[in-house]
Amino acid sequence: MVFRNRQAIPWPGRTVYKGMQRLQLPVGRIPDEALLAGLATGDPELAVTFVRRFQHTVFGVAIAVTRDAQLAEDIAQQTFERAWRHAQVYDARRGSVTTWLTTIAHNLAIDAVRSRRPEPVAPEDLDALLDVVTETPEQRALADEASAALRAAVAALPREQGRALAMAGIYGMTAQQIADWENIPLGTAKTRIRTAMGKLRATLAAPGPTRTGPARPDHAPDHEPPDHPPPDPAAPTPDPPRPDPTSPKRGGHD
Amino acid sequence: MTRNLTCEELRDTGAELALGVLAGRERAEATAHLDRCAECREYIEQLALVGDGLLGLLPGTEPPAGFETRVARRLSQAAAARDGHVVARGVGKRRERSRRGIRLRIASAAAVLALGLGAGGWAVGMAIENVAAGPARPAQTVPNMLRADLTGAVAGHREAAGEIYAHPGSPPGSPGLVFMSVDLADAGIKYSGKVICLLQRSNGTTVRLGTFHMRGGDAYWGAPASVNLSTVSGVRLTAADGSALATAHFSGR
Ligand SMILES: [Zn+2]
Repeated sequence: MVFRNRQAIPWPGRTVYKGMQRLQLPVGRIPDEALLAGLATGDPELAVTFVRRFQHTVFGVAIAVTRDAQLAEDIAQQTFERAWRHAQVYDARRGSVTTWLTTIAHNLAIDAVRSRRPEPVAPEDLDALLDVVTETPEQRALADEASAALRAAVAALPREQGRALAMAGIYGMTAQQIADWENIPLGTAKTRIRTAMGKLRATLAAPGPTRTGPARPDHAPDHEPPDHPPPDPAAPTPDPPRPDPTSPKRGGHD
Repeated sequence: MTRNLTCEELRDTGAELALGVLAGRERAEATAHLDRCAECREYIEQLALVGDGLLGLLPGTEPPAGFETRVARRLSQAAAARDGHVVARGVGKRRERSRRGIRLRIASAAAVLALGLGAGGWAVGMAIENVAAGPARPAQTVPNMLRADLTGAVAGHREAAGEIYAHPGSPPGSPGLVFMSVDLADAGIKYSGKVICLLQRSNGTTVRLGTFHMRGGDAYWGAPASVNLSTVSGVRLTAADGSALATAHFSGR
């Protein structure tokens, strides 16, 4: 415990308190986490502020995965309902409120698509999505440095790796589904996912900001490593179990 | 039966695991490895951040018109379903009294918070539609809500180490609520453990609001406050042994 001040400080019986003034607090200034906690007050202004602040992001994820406005709205509504119900389990150390909501919306959207459609994605949508995701940051008002670097790294991926990444990371397709869709061996699909993720991880781990523009020299081959047969020939089940959408789905170890 | 993977084998499927698209035996083998390998856990955490970052690149999209109102209705229905007995008794002072009575009987702070969500949710349901349906106002305000910076109880440290809000309760007459986000790490306080939250009143007395758990100086928490918030001048957070962690003073500006 780094807690240094072990001495109990006497509670001041009187404080230099100059009287209570009432604030008209602009709710736009409340930080995200406090706003989430504030949902518990039952204040309608806070609840609507919460929805207004995050509805773009939540609906954006839902529409990207489902490509169906009606379904996306239902998912976005469910996302806010879950956030409202589970505000207590939000853990700031695991990521921002935006990331938390994004994860909830993403999991709900993938589950909804899986239960409705045999084919999760259409190729023309996939390419359009990649174009949107990798468009230059000038077009995005709020692109911070880390996401600009990530965006550039995605843009620098060979197209087939970018597609595999989007299919797995955004549409929630398994390697087997990607292999079937792209008409490639399973081992190739797995390699594309792994290689793409490895490059992006290197970007995030790189010391100092990575500027946009040409990607840093990378030993990534322009063509893929030779296929090797997957260690387990048993095909994955088409619907991998997903954990509770209100908890971070990934690498959950706590 | 699952096979014991080597670290190298884990890294073959780690990206799929981190993206949530690994299934069946492969998933079981990978998670079994992570249970006993901290290094690979760290690796998967990094890949999971990449996955989160990828979702963060998706463009925001304006939802269809009326979305807020429909979310509000949904929250209202969910709250009504949960607090069905409250709704059935109808609106009025009796409900307020009974809710407060229930709250006072709950000892655990966690239970109080959970109840606050439930009962507060009902209020949200009723009132939120009016707010959402009304014209959008650029600068919304909550009347009579107090805000203060938390300051870490470290000599010489004056930086804000979190924020605290005291909400008078909605609708008027219902219990208020104090909520806060605390980040004491920058003040050098990386305390983990039980935290006691005391409300300080302008007459010098204190009221214990509740307890919560902090990890590494980080926490966010809220609880209903049955005291009249207009008499509250500040808040004090202490460790379980009574030593001070942080203080806040409400003062108008
Ligand atoms: Zn390992």
